[in-house]
Amino acid sequence: MLLLSALAGVAVLFSLGVLLSKDNFYSSLFMAVTLVIVASVYAFFDLQPVFVLIVFIFVGAIGIVTVALAATYRFAPERQVSVLWALPVIITALILGFSVYTTQLAYAGEIQFALGEFITPEYLLLILFLTSLIILLMLSVLKMGVEEGGRS
Amino acid sequence: MQAIDLSIIYVTSFAILLVGYLTAISSKDLIRLLIALELMFGAVFLSLIPLFYALPDPAFGIAILTIFTSSGELLVLIAAIVTLDRQKRNVYTSSVTIGGDKI
Repeated sequence: MLLLSALAGVAVLFSLGVLLSKDNFYSSLFMAVTLVIVASVYAFFDLQPVFVLIVFIFVGAIGIVTVALAATYRFAPERQVSVLWALPVIITALILGFSVYTTQLAYAGEIQFALGEFITPEYLLLILFLTSLIILLMLSVLKMGVEEGGRS
Repeated sequence: MQAIDLSIIYVTSFAILLVGYLTAISSKDLIRLLIALELMFGAVFLSLIPLFYALPDPAFGIAILTIFTSSGELLVLIAAIVTLDRQKRNVYTSSVTIGGDKI
């Protein structure tokens, strides 16, 4: 529980860094670290396949592109949200945590997940469809970019 | 999973989601909006963990679905930011004038 609390606390602190940082580049770096810590929580619960998916795909691909974009457009925002917003956020989070704790939603025991059992034809079909979706999305974006390039 | 672990996960997820939301509504440029969206997706990933206790295989399927679709959505947003920059020569949110409702 101590390690989980530490991971959660560090994740929230880094996410606050995203909000409070004046530079997009540092904000994106804080965001990437937050996502890696979120993935580490999965590793903490012995769910390494999800850790790999989040770190390699979400942080490794999308996150790094975002960091590169943020390094290109390093704007300093004129005004951030008032810090007074922190108070209702903290109160709501505490109420939520207390209500979850008291309603006994938790399941006893360990997570029973094995990647070998997951790989069935149905789920492989799902992954195939999702890969096709990503390829179709990228093709349409490429088409949009080519048309835009032809116009300019 | 103990109730306290569940509380920690949900509170962390909620806090990150709120920070992402506050970042999104205070953003003056599209890059910060993109960062805020990624942060909010991170909070969604975190809130999926308790589902692995009840239904491990469907939870993993949902995790894959969420990761793929959110990645695709963010890639399209990145392409849209690049296209906007080529058209308007900036990436400020105030430059986006098409779409949305007036209150």
